[in-house]
Amino acid sequence: MTEKNKITSSSTAEYFAKNLQQVGFSSPMKAVLTTLKEALDNSLDACEEHKILPDIQIYVRRIGKGNLKNTDRILIGVEDNGPGLSVEHTPMVFGEYLASSKFGRGRCTRGQQGIGISAATTWAVQTSATGARVLTKQKGQRLALSCVVAIDYKKNKGLMQEKEMVAWEKPHGTRVEFVIDGRVQLNGEAGLLAYLRGNVLLNPHLSLTYELPDMEKVHIPRVSEEAPQIPDATPPHPHTMKLGEFISHARLFGSKKLMDWLCKEFSRMTPDVVEEIRKSVKLPAVILTKPVSALKDDQLQILYQAIQDAPLKPPSTQSVMAIGEDALSISIQRLGDIDYFSVVSRKPSICDFKPIQVEVAIARLSTKEGSAEEPVQVLRFANRVPLQFDKSSCAIVKAITSVLWRAYGLKQSKGSLPVGPYIMAVSVVSPFIKFKNASKETIDASDELVLEIRKALMKGGQELSKHLNRESKAKDLEAKKAHIEQFGPALVESLCRILAAPASRKKLAEEGIQKILGRDDRAAQRALDHAEEKLSEHMEKQKKRLVQFSEEDHQLELDESRKEEE
Amino acid sequence: MVRYAIREKDAIPFLSKELCEKILSDLEQGKRPVLKATKCSLDNCIYSPTVGYLTPGSKKTLTELNVASVKKMARAIFMLEIILRNVKSGGVNTKRELYYVCKGLLKQNKDLKPLDFEDQVESDSVIDFICEILECYREELNCYANDRGGQTYSKQLVVVEKLTDGTEATIDLSQLGTSPFMPKNRPQNLVLKVKKKVEFCLVVESEGTANTLVANGFTHRTPSIVVGAQGVPSNAVRGWVKRIQDQLNIPIFFFGDLDAYTIQNIYRTLKAGSASSLIRNADFSAPDVKFLGVLPQDIQKYDLFAYDVRESDVVEKRSLKKARDALENDPFFHSRRNKGLVNILEWLIEKKQRCEQQAFFSVDAGNPRAFERIILEKIEAGSYV
Repeated sequence: MTEKNKITSSSTAEYFAKNLQQVGFSSPMKAVLTTLKEALDNSLDACEEHKILPDIQIYVRRIGKGNLKNTDRILIGVEDNGPGLSVEHTPMVFGEYLASSKFGRGRCTRGQQGIGISAATTWAVQTSATGARVLTKQKGQRLALSCVVAIDYKKNKGLMQEKEMVAWEKPHGTRVEFVIDGRVQLNGEAGLLAYLRGNVLLNPHLSLTYELPDMEKVHIPRVSEEAPQIPDATPPHPHTMKLGEFISHARLFGSKKLMDWLCKEFSRMTPDVVEEIRKSVKLPAVILTKPVSALKDDQLQILYQAIQDAPLKPPSTQSVMAIGEDALSISIQRLGDIDYFSVVSRKPSICDFKPIQVEVAIARLSTKEGSAEEPVQVLRFANRVPLQFDKSSCAIVKAITSVLWRAYGLKQSKGSLPVGPYIMAVSVVSPFIKFKNASKETIDASDELVLEIRKALMKGGQELSKHLNRESKAKDLEAKKAHIEQFGPALVESLCRILAAPASRKKLAEEGIQKILGRDDRAAQRALDHAEEKLSEHMEKQKKRLVQFSEEDHQLELDESRKEEE
Repeated sequence: MVRYAIREKDAIPFLSKELCEKILSDLEQGKRPVLKATKCSLDNCIYSPTVGYLTPGSKKTLTELNVASVKKMARAIFMLEIILRNVKSGGVNTKRELYYVCKGLLKQNKDLKPLDFEDQVESDSVIDFICEILECYREELNCYANDRGGQTYSKQLVVVEKLTDGTEATIDLSQLGTSPFMPKNRPQNLVLKVKKKVEFCLVVESEGTANTLVANGFTHRTPSIVVGAQGVPSNAVRGWVKRIQDQLNIPIFFFGDLDAYTIQNIYRTLKAGSASSLIRNADFSAPDVKFLGVLPQDIQKYDLFAYDVRESDVVEKRSLKKARDALENDPFFHSRRNKGLVNILEWLIEKKQRCEQQAFFSVDAGNPRAFERIILEKIEAGSYV
């Protein structure tokens, strides 16, 4: 290496400005979807964090010809009723990479690192030379902050421009607008509608209004008055840490005694377990009472290795949050004309040593033309964010194709997605989802995770088969009745002609054949009755749950109004 | 109702009416009619060397009237009505023609429209079903297949054919010039006579090779009957050779390729019938027929051109696999009487070689009578199985 090849360092903003394709801005079409997604994710996370029922307006408009080839100039706006942003935080949120309130907290929030929305601002600056236009107001403020946020790439800092305080009728909330070069795709798996539909399904508490190009304005009211509770993060499990992380973690708690540090700052570590571990590596007992800072790196390494060998309980599942079968049951009905559906919410479990929860909703749409032979629509979610690209290598799709759907009455070629007018929505929630790439488009398909999703799908399939079974029995009965009516008299007719039998014999034989085949008919009727009975038992259970859910909602409303009166 | 050899003229109408009466009276009493038929498959085959052909075991297939079978039964009785009309009037039809006759009649009657056939496969299966439940062969239902194979040449043979109008036709094969005599699909009504003593009958697998022998004067010089089989013998060929065996009481030899397909499909069917035609093997097999060649030892003796079975050729490969299956499952090859044939199959499986019947033309290639000489030499020397 010579002095000619000078080594320079770049800021994070400079890196992402040159590599926007890594975070979902690889094409004009994806740019529109990613910008909308990042803005909506931020709004939803902010509302949930402050226990506000989200009321969100979205508008996407074509406002001219784009600067890039074959693009339009698109205005994307997202307005929420969230807590609003302070003057100090506004440029950080929209103009600074890795500025996040959620980074490394181990909670099931949509956003994690604080990259996405800054990348959207970067795309807007790069393609239309304008930053993010923000209007935000916090509770109790008289005026709202209006500004444009751009980015200082060298310093990785948000730049606030055109700052002014303006009147805004909203008590609190944020509106962000981006003007970007892009292309709007409404339909298809990668379309805006599929994305919005996914959000509607997984956020029953969301009230959404959207206005998209070539479409009427749509308003979807919320079906749940309960904001989801995001569980607090649990301390890290020592088996999920690498040596370097373990030592760095230790250095953060310098004066704390070793025993306290291990038992309080990690999950699944008790004094007995720590004592066992100490004995196994023959460390003196006194070491546990020393401050962590007194330990040398090699001692920490010995301790780390002993912990890795110790049979600890798996990590806690308390940090994962679920939508719940009840909420999903109500929410899925917002997706369109649905004949019937099944929802399954698995208990939280451990996959690849990370807590995880899988939920599945399968719905049959009232038959649309041409959809009977098309693959089912798959809606994939990771921490309640719809995933729309790179479907084939995703753990969810791998799990769906591994299930033998024919056993539940669906058509399927081996190893493929089943076909028919169905929606299969699978949600994976975890504070540590393993994505395959930085743009969070697909979940890594580890064997354990695929198996966990598969179990949920199979349960969903079993529930769905109750409906399909009833349907097939009803068809069976109808076919049998038609069969008897068509062929019974024809058989008797031919027999009587060959034998030149009198009319009296013919009449007797016709009665006889009706009697005989009527028994088969009755058997089919009994099978149908049985299937209907099973289904109504299932529906009754489902209804009970929903009633209970609505009652809880009603009770909550009463409590709210009482509080307001007080 | 097991009647394997129906001979009486009125047997089919009688059996049909008996069947219909049984179904109708069951229906009148509100009982489910059950139709019994002999199971025609290899697992229901019995082979006894004293009988000489494959006979059915005790397994039956039962068709009970229910929602699933009512369509099949209604179609069968409808088809039976048409067939009975033919049998009564002496009319005949092929399966294809019957398919169209049915369609024409069904078109005229709205109530019967549901019985209509989508394609000939459906109507063929109904005809086969009738044969199974009446335990007869389709020629007895006046439903004939295209005549195929059986071209016969002889200077001594005279055939007397009983015609449906009661008259008789006499055919002297020596008067037919270069034209062969072709047996019909129902050769049971033919009576055979010979003008002079016939030494043997030679059935040749290849129609062309049979023709070559005759054109070169084989039947002029040797008092014999030469029959061309044309591949797997049709009902006509099987019934015709059986007729020659029963009426003339002369040795019958089969001459064909040396490969698994010839031994197991062509020769076995000619000699002992087939599993799918269990109920008619009595009339359509000639147990006395001998396998003249090509024998494995002929390859060495006459220095014949033989070929390796090509693993890439699906048909040849499948044929060897079927030969292994036959040795395992076919009762014909389990009989000690057929040990010679088993040895040939085992040789074929082991050596994976095949030799065509025409390979004999490579012996003394310039001499047109060399082939004839070898055939006669083999018969005289007892070089057959």
